[in-house]
Amino acid sequence: MTDRGKWHERLKVTLWTLIVPPAIWAGHFLMAYLWAAISCAKVGAFATFPTLFVVGTIIALTLIALSGWIAWKQTHRPGDSAPHQDSTDIDRLRFLAKSTLLLAGLSFVGVIFTALPVVFLRNCL
Amino acid sequence: MSLHDQDDPALRAAQEDRLRAVWKPPQGLFLRWTDTNNNRVGVWYVLTAFGFMLFAGVLALIMRTQLAVPDNDLVSANSFNQLFTLHGSMMMFLFAVPMFEAVSIILLPQLLGARDLPFPRLSAFGYWSFLIGGVFVSGSIFFNAAPDGGWFMYPPLTTRTDLSGLGADIWMLGLSFIEVSSVAAAVELIVGVLKCRPPGMRLNLMPLYAWYILVVAVMILFAFPPLIAGDILFEMERLLDWPFFDANRGGDPLLWQHLFWIFGHPEVYIIFLPSIALFAMLVPTFANRHLLGYPWIVLAAVGTAFLSFGLWVHHMFTTGLPKISLAFFSAASEAVAIPTGVQIFVFIATLWAGRVTWSTPLLYATGSLAIFVIGGLTGVMVAVAPFDWQAHDSYFIVAHLHYVLIGGTLMPLFAGLYYYWPLITGKKLSDRLGRIAFWMLFAGANLTFFPMHLSGLMGMPRRVFTYPAELGLGGLNLMSTAGAYLFAAGVAVICVDLALSPRRAKAPRNPWNAGTLEWLAHPDDEDWGIRSVPLVESRYPIWDQPDFVRKVDEGRFFLPDAEEGRRETIVTTVLDARPLAVIRLGTPSVKPMLTAIALGGVFIFTTYHLYWAALACGIATLACTLWWLWTGTAEIPEKPCKPIGHGLELPLYLSGPAAPGWWAMFITMMADATAFSGLVFGYFFFWTRHADFPPATMADGPGILWPMVALAVGVIGWLATIGARDIHARGGVAAARILLLLGITHSIVGVGAGLAGPWTSGLDPQAHSYPAIVWTLAIWTSAHAGVAAIMQGYALARSLAGKMNPDHDADLRNVSIYMHFYALSAVVTYATIGLFPEVA
Amino acid sequence: MRNPWLWALLVAGLTACNAEQSTLHVFGAEARAVRQMALVLTIGAVLIVAIMVALYVRAVRAPEGRLSHDGGMRMVLWLGAIGPTLILTALLIYALPAMRPRATAPGDLTIRVEGEQFWWRVAYDPASDLSPLSSANEVRIPVGRTVIFELTARDVIHSFWIPGLAGKMDMIPGRTNRLVVQAEKAGRYRGVCAEFCGLSHALMAFDVVAMDGADFDAWMARSRAASTGVTASRGARLFDAHGCGGCHAIRGTPHDADIGPDLSRFGERPTLGAGILPPTPANVAAFIRFPQDAKPGARMPAYPQISVADARAIADYLKGLK
Repeated sequence: MTDRGKWHERLKVTLWTLIVPPAIWAGHFLMAYLWAAISCAKVGAFATFPTLFVVGTIIALTLIALSGWIAWKQTHRPGDSAPHQDSTDIDRLRFLAKSTLLLAGLSFVGVIFTALPVVFLRNCL
Repeated sequence: MSLHDQDDPALRAAQEDRLRAVWKPPQGLFLRWTDTNNNRVGVWYVLTAFGFMLFAGVLALIMRTQLAVPDNDLVSANSFNQLFTLHGSMMMFLFAVPMFEAVSIILLPQLLGARDLPFPRLSAFGYWSFLIGGVFVSGSIFFNAAPDGGWFMYPPLTTRTDLSGLGADIWMLGLSFIEVSSVAAAVELIVGVLKCRPPGMRLNLMPLYAWYILVVAVMILFAFPPLIAGDILFEMERLLDWPFFDANRGGDPLLWQHLFWIFGHPEVYIIFLPSIALFAMLVPTFANRHLLGYPWIVLAAVGTAFLSFGLWVHHMFTTGLPKISLAFFSAASEAVAIPTGVQIFVFIATLWAGRVTWSTPLLYATGSLAIFVIGGLTGVMVAVAPFDWQAHDSYFIVAHLHYVLIGGTLMPLFAGLYYYWPLITGKKLSDRLGRIAFWMLFAGANLTFFPMHLSGLMGMPRRVFTYPAELGLGGLNLMSTAGAYLFAAGVAVICVDLALSPRRAKAPRNPWNAGTLEWLAHPDDEDWGIRSVPLVESRYPIWDQPDFVRKVDEGRFFLPDAEEGRRETIVTTVLDARPLAVIRLGTPSVKPMLTAIALGGVFIFTTYHLYWAALACGIATLACTLWWLWTGTAEIPEKPCKPIGHGLELPLYLSGPAAPGWWAMFITMMADATAFSGLVFGYFFFWTRHADFPPATMADGPGILWPMVALAVGVIGWLATIGARDIHARGGVAAARILLLLGITHSIVGVGAGLAGPWTSGLDPQAHSYPAIVWTLAIWTSAHAGVAAIMQGYALARSLAGKMNPDHDADLRNVSIYMHFYALSAVVTYATIGLFPEVA
Repeated sequence: MRNPWLWALLVAGLTACNAEQSTLHVFGAEARAVRQMALVLTIGAVLIVAIMVALYVRAVRAPEGRLSHDGGMRMVLWLGAIGPTLILTALLIYALPAMRPRATAPGDLTIRVEGEQFWWRVAYDPASDLSPLSSANEVRIPVGRTVIFELTARDVIHSFWIPGLAGKMDMIPGRTNRLVVQAEKAGRYRGVCAEFCGLSHALMAFDVVAMDGADFDAWMARSRAASTGVTASRGARLFDAHGCGGCHAIRGTPHDADIGPDLSRFGERPTLGAGILPPTPANVAAFIRFPQDAKPGARMPAYPQISVADARAIADYLKGLK
C-alpha cells in the first residue's frame, strides 16, 4: 500500500471511519428529534418551510455519499476480487472499505427515512 | 527456542506439565469458588442464567394457568402483578443479557485462540454480582415482596411510596447492581475482541461471533447507562422525595419513559444479535462452506446497533407526543428491518450455495428463523404508528414480543446449546430427544402466541389478571395456555437430555467438522485454553490452514510454554492483530467475590433503608477494589521481554493506548459519560417542559460564583494530572509527584465547591424538579471529583511504593483517562447549572 | 401457513362474539381506517412469510454450488437489502399521512376524561358556560360529529382505549393529551384502561354509548337538569348520614364533592364499578359495604358498619337516580 496517490486513497479506513456514515445518520436523527421536540415545546409550532431541517438533511446526505464514495474507491483498487479473506493489508483495507460502503448505503436510506415525515406532517398535533 | 524444538516429545510434555500447573484450578470446598478461569466462571454463569430462565418460565406458567379461563381466581391481582413483573424483568435482566455474556465468556477466548479473556477477575466479579443481585431480586417473590409495577416500572405508580412497596426498591437497586455487572462484562468483551486476538487475525478474519459481540458490548455501554441514570433519579424520588417524576412539583413521568426506553429498545437488539451470532457460526458449519457475504453481516450488526438507538419512542407512541416526533421514530423503526433482512438472506444464500448437512442445531436454527420472521413482520406492523395505537399494550404486543424473543433469543440459544454442548462437555446431546423437544417447542410457541395476535386485536389489554367472559376471549386464551404447557414440556425434555449427558460416551473432537478456532477444544479439556496461540491466516483456519490442529497441539505456534509459572496471553493490535506484548493474567482470587459481596451490600442495605450499613459496605467496596488493583494490576515484570517462539520477543508490560487496561478505563468512562448525559438530558428535558425554567422563585439557581470555582479547580486538577503524566514519562518523577499532590488538593476542593453552589443558595431539592436536578448534577460531578482525588492518590502511592516508574506508568496513564472525563463532566455540569439559567 | 391448526384458530377467533370491545368490530372512523390498514399489513406479512419459507426450502435442498459466490451476493443485495428497502419506503409513504389527526373546529364537542385508580371521571364540554356536566365510568358520544377527548390523570398513568372507536391515548399526570374521533354507528360499546395502573388495572373499564345526534342533544339537555329520583327516601337519608356525599356528587342535591365517581343518573348506568359488574341492587349494596372484594385496591373505604338492609336502601336510592 502506498502513501502516494489521490487524496481519497491516502485516507485510511479504520474501525473509526467504519462508523462515520451511521454516526452521521445518528447526528441527523438527533437533530430532527430535538428540532421538533424543542420547537413544539417552546414555540408550539415549527416553520412551514423548515430551512434548517432541509439544509441539515442535504449536508448529512452529502457527507454520507462522500464517505461512501471514498470507500468505493478504496474497494476498487487493482488486485483480486472478493471475498477479501486473506491475512493481508490490502484485504483488510478492502473489507473495511466494503463494509463502510454498505453502511453508507444503509445510512443514506436511513436519513431519507428520517426526512420523509416532514413531507407529510407539518404541525405539532 | 526454534521451531524444531517442538519436535521433541519430552520438551512438549514438560511444557504441558508447566502449563497444567499454572492453569490448575484452585481446590477445596471454598477455594474452588475463587476460580477465575473463563471455562469455569462461564459455566457457572450459564447454569445460573439457565436456572433463572426456568424460574421465570414457571412464573409464566402460573400466569397462563390463571388466564386459561375467564373470571378465574387462582391467583390474586396482587400475586399476578408480581408474577408478570418478575417474569419480564428476570427474562430480560437475569436470563437474556447474562446468558449472552456467559456464553461469550466461555466461547470468546476459544474463538480468539486466547488463553483467557484479558481480565479474568473482572469476569468473576461480574458473575458474583449477577448471582447476588439475581437471587435478591427473584427471591423477593417468596416473601410476597416482589416488584409489581411491570418490568418498565412507570412512575408515578412506582415512585409513590403509598402506591408501591419495597418491591420497587428491590427492582431498582437489585437490577442496578446487575447493570453494573453487565457493563463490567461489556468492558471485558470489547477489550477481549479488540486486543486479544491471535496474531494474523485481522479485522477481516475475525469470527463473526466476535464481530457481533463487539457490537453488542458497545451497545451495552451506551444503552445501560441511561437506565442507571434513570435508576438514580428514581431512587432519589423514592428515598429522598426529590420530585423528578411528580407532576405536582415540576416533574414529569415521561422523563422516566425516555430514559427507560433509550435503554429498553437497544436492549432488544442486545439480546437478539448474540443469538444471530450463534447462527453465523453454525450455518457455515452445516452448509459446509464459508459464510457468504461477511461484510454484509458486519453492515447488519453495526447498522442495527446504530438504528436501534433511534427507536425508543415507538414504545411511547400513545403518550401524546407530537405526531412529527412519533413519525421520526416510526421511520427509524422501519429502517431497522433492512439490516435484519440482510442477515436472514446471508444465511439463506450461504445454505443455498453450500452442501447442507441436516442436524439438530440446524433444525433449531431453522425453527427460530421461522418464528423470528413472523415476529419481525409484526414488528414492522407495530412500527406503523396508527396501527400501534390499537395494538399497543394489547395482547398483540405480547404475541409480537414473544415471537421476537423466542425466535430471536431463546430458540437460537437452544440451537447453540445443541451445537456447543460437545465443546463444553465433550459429549453430544441426543438427536432424538433434541428433535422431540424442538417440535414441542415450535408447536407450543405458535399455539401459545399466535392466538394472542387475535385476542389483542379483539381488545384484550396486557397485564390483566383476569378478563370477563362476555368478551369472548376464553377460547383463544385456553389455546394459549395449552400451548404454554406444551412449550414447558419441551423445555423439560431438553432438561432431561442435559441430565442424561453425563452417562453418555465422549464424542470425537470437532464433531460437526467446523472450521473455526473454538473447535480446537479437546474433549478431555485442559484448563489452559489453547496449547499454543496460532498464526491465523483464514476465516476458517481448521478447514483452510494445512496441518493446523496438529501444529497447535504440538505447540508449534506462539507461547507454547509457561516458563515463569505465570498465566499469560498475547496482546495484539486492533486492526491487524500484530503481536504487541504478552500480558500476565489474574489468577484465582477471593478479591472479586469479596468486592461483589461488599457492593451487593451497598445496594441491598439501601433497599431496606439501612444507610449506615450501606455506607460501611461502600467503604468496604472501595477498600476491596483498591486492594484488588494494588496487588493485581500494572505489575512491573521481572524482565522486560520474553520470547514466544518463532524468534519473536515481546514485552511484558504495556501502558497507554496499546494496553488492555487503558482500553478498559476508556470504555468504562464512556459508559460513565453516557450515564452522565442521561442526567444532563433530564435537565434540558425539564427546561422544555416548563415555560419558566428555572422557576421564578428560584431564578438565581446555584449562582455563578461557586459553579465557576468548581469548574476552575476541576480544570486545574485535570491539567496537573496531565502535566504529571507527561513530566513523569520524561523522567521527572519528583515533579510529577508534586503535580499529583496539587491535583489531589484541587480535586478535594472540587468536591466542596461543586456542592457549595446549590447549598449556599438554599435550593431545596424536595420543592421542585429544578433544584432536584441541579443538586443531582452537582452531586454527580462532586462525587467524580472525590473519585479523582482517590485515583490521583493511588497513582501517587504507586509511585512512592516503587510500583510505578517512567518506564512502567500504566497507572498514571489510566488515571489521566479518568481525568479527561472528569474534566468534561465538570465543564458540562457547571456550564449547565451555572451559566444556562443566564441565557434560558 | 403450514399448520392446519392455524386455520382452525382463525375460525375460532372470528366466530367468537365480541361486539363490544374489539378493534375488528368498529363503530368509529379512526378504528375503521386502522382495521383497513391492519388488513393490508397482514396480507403483506403473510405473503412475505410464504416467500421466505419457499426460498428457505429451496436453499436447503439446492445441491452444492448451485448458487455461485457472485449469485449469492446478488441475492443478498437484491432480496436482502434493496427489496426490503423499497417495500418499507412504500409502507412509510402509505402510513405517514395516516398519522394526521382529524381536523377540529371551534364548536366541536369536548369531553374531558380523567383516569383514576380505578375509574374514570368524565366532564362534557368542560369549558362551557352552562353548568358543567359531570359523569363517571360512562362516555356518551354523538354519531357523525367530531369529538375531542381531553385526557389526563391525577394519580398514576392510565390509558384511554375504546377499541371499536379509535386507538388508545395515555392519560398522564401533569399532561393533557388530545384524542380526536368520530363515531359512525350508534350502539353500546366498551372501553378499557390499557396502561398498567396498579392492583385493579384489569377491572378498570367503562361503558361507551354512541347516540344519534338528536338523541345526544336531548340527552345532554336532560342531563344538565337535576337527576330525577332525588327524594327524601330512607336511602337518601342514609346516603347523607354515612357521609357518602363527602366523596360523591349527585346533581340536584347539595352533594358536589369531586373525590369519588359522580353518581348523578346512576340508575341509567349499564354497569357498576367501572364496567365490571351488572348494576343489580344486590351488587350495588355489596359494593358499598366491601368495595375491595369486587375491586382490590379500590380507593373507596369499606363500610362493614352499614347493615345489609341499609346498604340495600342506599342501592335502591341510587338505582332510582335517572
